[in-house]
Amino acid sequence: MRVRLRPLRPEDLRSVLAIEEASFPRPWSEGMFAAELGLPDRMWFVAERDGEVVGYAGAMMQLGEAHVMNLAVAAGARRQGVATVLLSGLIDALRDRGAHGVTLEVRENNDAAISLYESAGMHAVGERPGYYVETGESAVVMWSDDLDSPGMNARLDILRARARRYSYASDDDGHPYVLGIETSCDETAAAVVGAHNEVIANVVATQVDFHARFGGVVPEIASRKHTEAIVAVVSEALTQAAGTLGRPFGFDDVDAIAVTRGPGLVGALVVGLAYAKGLSLATGIPLIGINHLEAHIFAALLEDPNLAPPLIALVVSGGHTSLVYVPEWGEYRVLGETLDDAAGEAFDKVAKALGLGYPGGPIISRLAEQGDPAAIEFPRAMLHSGDYSFSLSGLKTAVINHVSHEREAGRELHLPDLAASFQAAVIDVQVAKAVRAAEEYRVSSFVIAGGVAANTALRQGLTDAMRSRGIEVAVPALHMCTDNAAMVATAGLFRYARGERMSRADDAAPGLRLDSA
Amino acid sequence: MTGTLTLAFDTATEHIAIGLALRTGEALEVIGTRDAEAPRAALARLLPSVEDLLIDHAVRPSDVSEVVVGHGPGSFTGVRIAVSAAKGLAHGLEVPLYAVSTLDAVAWRLAGSLRPGTLIGVLGDAMRGEVYPALFEVTPDGVKRLTSDRVATPDAVAGEWASLENSLVLTGNGLTKYHDLFATVLPASTTVADPAQWSASGSGLLAAFHSALLDGALGDGDPATVLPVYTRLSDAEENERARTRQGPGER
Repeated sequence: MRVRLRPLRPEDLRSVLAIEEASFPRPWSEGMFAAELGLPDRMWFVAERDGEVVGYAGAMMQLGEAHVMNLAVAAGARRQGVATVLLSGLIDALRDRGAHGVTLEVRENNDAAISLYESAGMHAVGERPGYYVETGESAVVMWSDDLDSPGMNARLDILRARARRYSYASDDDGHPYVLGIETSCDETAAAVVGAHNEVIANVVATQVDFHARFGGVVPEIASRKHTEAIVAVVSEALTQAAGTLGRPFGFDDVDAIAVTRGPGLVGALVVGLAYAKGLSLATGIPLIGINHLEAHIFAALLEDPNLAPPLIALVVSGGHTSLVYVPEWGEYRVLGETLDDAAGEAFDKVAKALGLGYPGGPIISRLAEQGDPAAIEFPRAMLHSGDYSFSLSGLKTAVINHVSHEREAGRELHLPDLAASFQAAVIDVQVAKAVRAAEEYRVSSFVIAGGVAANTALRQGLTDAMRSRGIEVAVPALHMCTDNAAMVATAGLFRYARGERMSRADDAAPGLRLDSA
Repeated sequence: MTGTLTLAFDTATEHIAIGLALRTGEALEVIGTRDAEAPRAALARLLPSVEDLLIDHAVRPSDVSEVVVGHGPGSFTGVRIAVSAAKGLAHGLEVPLYAVSTLDAVAWRLAGSLRPGTLIGVLGDAMRGEVYPALFEVTPDGVKRLTSDRVATPDAVAGEWASLENSLVLTGNGLTKYHDLFATVLPASTTVADPAQWSASGSGLLAAFHSALLDGALGDGDPATVLPVYTRLSDAEENERARTRQGPGER
């Protein structure tokens, strides 16, 4: 969840001290913090989440230069962007107070901190050997360039954009807020995003356990579960939004309702759509119909707010395998799709054939980690077809044939090798075609989207191949790859800004295509 | 406008039924209704029709103070469309949501026109060669339900109803397919309602709601807990049950 940045107050000292003591071998005392509060040349901020202090940072101003004295994040809130929010906010405030440069010392072994400071445009200029007496570590002295230089401006813009994803700026009213609703398959989801694509609330009620014993999603069960869950899931999203913003948040605060129209299971889609239409009639909030596949691509924007077309996206999920050229947001040219099974479907079918359970993706990728991807030579279908189509049913058959062949021969199956070899065959073709598309269309950005983008080997394979060619790769965070409503709300924010609205007379579009988004 | 403004609708069959009423004390006065055939168009037509009805009577959505939905049994998807739309409306308006049986609404439609003691047999079409049967008795105040919701073959239902002593009136959209079957099995005294009355109507729904309200037979009004009545599990679960019943030794 997001944090809010605000100045340090005396009543925060107890929480700050608890974090300080848990973070440093030689912590500051309460008296030291208390003294800071009274000094005019100091600037201290805390990051607050759900009313709780989860981090703080402070600096001292001297002759137009700022010295960052302390920055710490509670153990349970680390790696969630809190330090980014603190540093970005602190530097902006220091610059507003007239600072031209920022300096600090950091432990030589604190790689996470060093890379954060580097991302803020700071670089090492020297070392103080043995500065931290309790560990004998040296301090790395870092300095920023002139805060008003074009290079620093660009750096700080990026830092600010990244910080916005994790924070809510209290001086900004945050509008428009978009409520996203997603019920196209087996997740009932609701989310709220604010004007800068910041995720204020994100709730996903997964049904996977109800479907697992049937070896796949049962549409009738999915529709029933959506009907049971929808009100509670939306209520929970509103409650979460209130917690994030630190103030009451209700339908009155929502500017648009974005709901998935398709593609998906028709019986599941109509639940979210009927609910959203009722809500829209009740509240007068405009309704925006969203293409689920477009939403998957927009999930990348939640990860990298500076992501900009033209780009190539590979949308891989249980129902889709498509390579898409995106000349600009909202315009999609599908270059190629699967001619038979989708990637996620192939994983499910192979897992089922091997008696491994459902869903197949996570099971196979976990097994594959222990296996040799070159152990068994499976076909790379359509690798040299010269187009962007995929075919996975032949591969599935090859795996099944291999299994029965080995069993007939009385040999025991080596499941990790089998999983790794199957997975490699899927990934090789996807990577090769993705690279060719990126080169043909000369894009500098590439997006991996959809539930199968959660597959580590696929992410890695695509990222390596693209980066070695100088192409930036945006992969949504794992929980943003699988179905969620934050991505729906983000696509909704884009369509809302363009003035697009859905009529309450519009129907579900179970077969909706990306090029008709 | 004083009193409680009630909005009710049902899309459990291929018929959209909408009613608007004003409740004052124990009285309920129907203000307006909309009934229309809308095969496979419930999602597209329901909310615009509700809006039209409100506009016709100069009512704003925010004036509505309670929502009533017919929660089946009927077409699974049709029932879910009405229930989900009603949840969105009630949730957004922050007003109570109540559910009444679609079959009750069909029976109540006939209430005023029949002599007390007469039985009403409602046959909802359950697809796959089955029906949702429900038996009602006409009382001086309206109708009283005698049997609970279930799904059964038309043959079984006709067999049971053939032995009823009171005079019986048949209604419900199940008659579209099974009229002849029931006509052969049931006694000659059995009559069939006008086909135009075989589905739920806006006023039938409101009457069924009003009666349940006076009986204290409604839930707490929480839109999160109102659910469709299916009477059947999903096919996947039914098949699983059948396999389990068979037992591992017999497979």
